[in-house]
Amino acid sequence: MRFIGVKTAMLAAGLMLAGAGQAAPQAPTAPPPATAATPAAPTTAAPAATTTAASGAKATPAAATPAANDPLLSMDGAPPMKPTAGIGQPVDGEIGLQPQVTKNGERAAWFHNGPLLWTITIISAFVLALLLWVIVRYNRRSNPVPSKTAHNTMIEVVWTLLPVVILVLLAIPSIGLLQAQFAPPPKSAITLKVTGNQWYWTYSYPDNGGFEITSNLLKEKDEVSPGERARTDDDGPRLLAVDNRVVLPVGVPIRLITTSADVIHSWAMPAFWIKLDAVPGRLNETSFTIEKPGLYFGQCSELCGPKHAYMPIAVEAVPLDLYNKWVVAKGGKVAGAADPAAAPAAANASAPVDANAAAPADNMTAPDNAAAGNSTGQ
Amino acid sequence: MAGAKNHDYHILQPDPWPLIGAMSALALASGGIMWMKGAHYGSLLFGFGLICVLFTMFSWWSNVIKEAHQGDHTPVVQLHLRYGMVLFIASEVMFFVGWFWAFFDFSLFPAPVVWDAASKTASLATENIAAASVWPPKGIEVINAFQFPLLNTIILLLSGTTVTWAHHALIHNQRGGAMKGLWGLIGVGENDGVKKGLWLTIVLGVLFSSIQAYEYSEAPFPFKGLNYGASFFMATGFHGFHVLIGTIFLTVNLIRAYKGDFTPKQHFGFEAAAWYWHFVDVVWLFLFITIYVWGGWGAPVHAG
Amino acid sequence: MSDIALTPNAFEAHHGGHEHHHDADHKPGFFARWFMSTNHKDIGTLYLIFAITAGIIGGAISGLMRAELMHPGIQYLGQWANTLNHIRGGGDVNMDQARHLWNVLVTAHGLIMVFFMVMPAMIGGFGNWFVPLMIGAPDMAFPRMNNISFWLLIPSFTLLLASPFFGGADGGAGTGWTVYAPLSTQEAGPSVDMAILSLHLAGASSILGAINFITTIFNMRAPGMTLHKMPLFVWSVLVTAFLLLLALPVLAAAITMLLTDRNFGTTFFQAEGGGDPILYQHLFWFFGHPEVYIMILPGFGMISQIIATFSKKPVFGYLGMAYAMVAIGVVGFIVWAHHMFTTGLSVNTKMYFTAATMVIAVPTGIKIFSWIATMWGGSLTFKTPMVWAMGFIFMFTVGGVTGVVLANGGVDDYMQDTYYVVAHFHYVLSLGAVFSLFAGFYYWFPKMSGRMYNEFLGHLHFWVFFIGVNVLFFPMHFLGLQGMPRRYPDYPNAFEHFNTVATVGYMIMIAGMGVFFVNLIWSLIAGKKAPDNPWGEGATTLEWTLSSPPPFHQFETLPVIDAGDSHHH
Ligand code: HEA
Ligand code: HEA
Ligand code: CUA
Ligand SMILES: [Cu+2]
Repeated sequence: MRFIGVKTAMLAAGLMLAGAGQAAPQAPTAPPPATAATPAAPTTAAPAATTTAASGAKATPAAATPAANDPLLSMDGAPPMKPTAGIGQPVDGEIGLQPQVTKNGERAAWFHNGPLLWTITIISAFVLALLLWVIVRYNRRSNPVPSKTAHNTMIEVVWTLLPVVILVLLAIPSIGLLQAQFAPPPKSAITLKVTGNQWYWTYSYPDNGGFEITSNLLKEKDEVSPGERARTDDDGPRLLAVDNRVVLPVGVPIRLITTSADVIHSWAMPAFWIKLDAVPGRLNETSFTIEKPGLYFGQCSELCGPKHAYMPIAVEAVPLDLYNKWVVAKGGKVAGAADPAAAPAAANASAPVDANAAAPADNMTAPDNAAAGNSTGQ
Repeated sequence: MAGAKNHDYHILQPDPWPLIGAMSALALASGGIMWMKGAHYGSLLFGFGLICVLFTMFSWWSNVIKEAHQGDHTPVVQLHLRYGMVLFIASEVMFFVGWFWAFFDFSLFPAPVVWDAASKTASLATENIAAASVWPPKGIEVINAFQFPLLNTIILLLSGTTVTWAHHALIHNQRGGAMKGLWGLIGVGENDGVKKGLWLTIVLGVLFSSIQAYEYSEAPFPFKGLNYGASFFMATGFHGFHVLIGTIFLTVNLIRAYKGDFTPKQHFGFEAAAWYWHFVDVVWLFLFITIYVWGGWGAPVHAG
Repeated sequence: MSDIALTPNAFEAHHGGHEHHHDADHKPGFFARWFMSTNHKDIGTLYLIFAITAGIIGGAISGLMRAELMHPGIQYLGQWANTLNHIRGGGDVNMDQARHLWNVLVTAHGLIMVFFMVMPAMIGGFGNWFVPLMIGAPDMAFPRMNNISFWLLIPSFTLLLASPFFGGADGGAGTGWTVYAPLSTQEAGPSVDMAILSLHLAGASSILGAINFITTIFNMRAPGMTLHKMPLFVWSVLVTAFLLLLALPVLAAAITMLLTDRNFGTTFFQAEGGGDPILYQHLFWFFGHPEVYIMILPGFGMISQIIATFSKKPVFGYLGMAYAMVAIGVVGFIVWAHHMFTTGLSVNTKMYFTAATMVIAVPTGIKIFSWIATMWGGSLTFKTPMVWAMGFIFMFTVGGVTGVVLANGGVDDYMQDTYYVVAHFHYVLSLGAVFSLFAGFYYWFPKMSGRMYNEFLGHLHFWVFFIGVNVLFFPMHFLGLQGMPRRYPDYPNAFEHFNTVATVGYMIMIAGMGVFFVNLIWSLIAGKKAPDNPWGEGATTLEWTLSSPPPFHQFETLPVIDAGDSHHH
């Protein structure tokens, strides 16, 4: 508790330093639902517009998100990045996996949608077909005299070996997927340390000076106490939106470390194909690389008490330069020589970002938040 | 159904003890919870349930013995009992697997936990984590495996031989004889290997339990607050509990021996107790080797 | 099972016994008969009544859950939690206490369905009734112990059902049926202790039952009935009993550790004291995975009997069928950590458990295909039990293959703790185990009660239930793939559509259950008298040689099983 208190103070200091707003220190058990945001100050940095994360799917005019790229706002102000329908969140009536924005996620989704789904569908259909066939062909009327066949070594060998073959064929990509998921991240990876708490998440950035943010569910308008910030649609869907999002750079390997301060939680982010339990007394580790800027939602996925359903996860993936600016704004340190704040435009041109910014399809189903132009291009 | 049946199985008459036993278990369990939670009369209800459970066991097995005397335990029914006992012991083995599992989890993958004997608190090391991740945890002293535990090992092994002696005596009908000397004072005949063996086994069992109790009272580490104590006391404690049960079981057989029960051909009650005793013995060997010797290796040994 | 060819001799023996020994039907008075029973059939009946009662309670709780989940937002929980707390003697509750009630409901539903519905019905109910009959034994090996196995369930169930009423406004065990530490060691009050002791008692009951079944099957088979002539249902109970015997004590140890952590300050699962929360999961799943086969193997056994009977053919590949169950049982002990793929296992561990888990699909496939091969070339009649059995084969396959998806450690990271898992296990349980229960119930109802059920209502029950549960559980796959986590009382609005569909499915299903109970009551009161063997030549196991219902004590002269296996041609 004392510990958290210190961190809260640190957090506040960081925010003040950045002049981004104020985080009123609150009771440590109820971490700050960030209050009183300073209104979005429009930035003028034109290049940044190419990487703004304004919703590509909503047909809102670009003018509606004027300041969307100000990294300083991602903590307290109106979020610079709006959620995109169909990306990083569930869609009503949809029956498949969420779109993946990591390489391993794509690989796993391919494995699921391809080999696995086909195999299980065919096997189920095959069994059903056989059942229907015996119903039609071997009912009492069609076949009054039953055969007495009770053995056929050949067929028994076949239906033993064939599944073995199928399973081996499935196991090979499955093992490959596991290897890919466990490939150690490079030294340059950025570490995100996640701590589960009843019932919120705290995030710290050990590679960026160790500053910490606390992420709480944003309540609905009719649920907040006076002065408390309520969720708006720009924050994200009900039960998914949080006050302070995790900001992560795109294209940079992230080393995820999870642990817990009380009971077991699980940090789950469907769009990254990541789910890692946060266990008290343990540090679990995995890694991923987000390929596309965007806003991604997840939820706690291990029963952790009454508010298990009320500790969502929101990751805002931004280009590295924005990430670095945000880190600085938080009072954190940025690795490497260049001061990113000094050269925002240059940083915007960094390769991974460009790759994403260049990729946008006009097609609104493409999981692409990168191009601001999209919002008017629908 | 006498007369009608044409087979050797034992068809029982309706019996009240299962129902009574189950309800006693309810009293025992609810009383136990109330007691643990500090509710009024919890300990009383628990005690009442316990007495009822014990009384159920007494009555139940008295009936079994009675039925044995009536000749209901035909060879096939005796075989049932054998199967039953072997399977029961198998399930007990799996119960201990759980406790050993916990012990090996803690000892093979030690947490960086440090025990402060003065304040009796554990804390997780925040630096030098690798160095702190040792088993037994830093800060505790362990029991010297080669003093009382080794003695207890010898005692139990010895008791294994005495119970085997009793068994052989039973099979070869070495019973009775003149009442001479100290044995005679407690009604054991000169030739009575059965009673002698049982007496010795029971005495050794009691000796084991006493030493164990003494050792617990002197243990240099606590039951609470640290995984070492938890796994040590629960594993050895459940073993100790089984020694008690085994001792009672042997005592019942001794009493039955005094009453003149058992024949060289039919004495399954005795055999079951002997099997159980051997099982308890084997568990101890594992405990001794893993928890006391291997599990305490390298840690400072408690003096005295 | 078809492998038993009865000699005319055996028939003689039975009918002789039946006619001459009026003693055999002498029943004790009411209290002695039902409360002090040492009769396997009566104890089986008690188990079935118990299981159906528990099924109604567990099903009703799931109805509450489906009602709450029909739409996003919290609709009823607050109301229910208030009512509950008034019963406890308290006032209105706050929102978190209402949400806690969700976890209590889910926990109760899971535990009731697993420990008090499926297990008692399959092993206690059908196992008790038909294992002795099928092996030609007069009763179980330990008739008195058999009865305490049943009666221990009463205190066990009592403790579980009473647990929400203690502990004040935060009362009730809200830990999930898995009772993971340290959540379960953290919840204050007596409720979790009650649940733990409930499991202890249920476990003791099952261990005693397992000892009884193994002894009975090994030692009381009629002369000539070798292990390889045993009906497959008996095989299934034998394997199940071994799983119970070896798995439950480990659970007992695990929950004892919970108990001492909760009440006596040990730190088995408390990281501060060097303990390890993941240890609990290993211990639990070392029991828990065999447990899921405990819940399905007797079902496999029943399906084999039924398919053979209504195909008028011996089971195809009898030995393969028997040893497939043995294989499932054995392999079932070494795959447990597939429930723990997201707990931070190492890559090698995940690979091992992925591969080992997939192996189980092979023996299971042997079973599926052998059932179909049994029907192949048969002369099928679609009596109600047969329809349920065929439904079982298909629905279990659907549930089984999604298990194979989950078995992939790298894939399961996505599905773990989502509704995809919920869909998987309800397909193998609510559409697998429960289908086999209904199949067995209709199959043996005439034998047990002496009356025929109504065929039309039986079919109606099947179809309504079949449609209902599919509408109920199939959409859960979609929810899971979209990422909906389990054990959530409230969910983002984007999950609404399929949750509403699922709840509608529940309503359809419930109508089917209504038909079942109508049929049950009507048949018990007014059903046609059942002949000894209502199913004809396909029904070759020994129970059909007895009257319906069988005499109070059967086989007072043991039947002799012919050594020549006449069915092999
Ligand atoms: C009756 C109960 C039952 C049964 C039989 C099964 C059967 C299987 N289960 Fe399931 N399972 C549960 C009950 C059951 N399960 C429960 C209750 C849970 C959740 C517990 C909790 O968390 O609360 C669970 C969870 C669960 C998980 C963990 C998911 C998670 O939490 O992330 C996994 C992962 O591997 C899994 C796998 C399997 C597999 C591979 C089988 C296999 O045995 C299935 C084999 C069958 C088939 C494959 C179909 C027939 C075969 C063929 C037609 C042959 C050809 C097939 C192929 C070549 C593929 N199950
Ligand atoms: C056998 C096991 C079984 C069965 C049959 C069911 C049946 C049902 N389950 Fe069950 N369910 C579980 C085992 C089972 N469930 C488990 C283990 C969990 C996980 C708990 C946890 O997370 O901890 C779970 C969780 C679970 C959830 C997820 C809750 C959450 O994560 O928040 C939901 C949600 O809809 C649900 C719904 C239902 C419904 C609507 C039914 C309906 O099908 C119910 C209808 C009723 C019946 C079909 C039973 C009828 C049977 C009889 C009346 C007895 C008949 C007997 C004889 C013939 C002898 N269940
Ligand atoms: Cu945190 Cu669930
Ligand atoms: Cu499993």
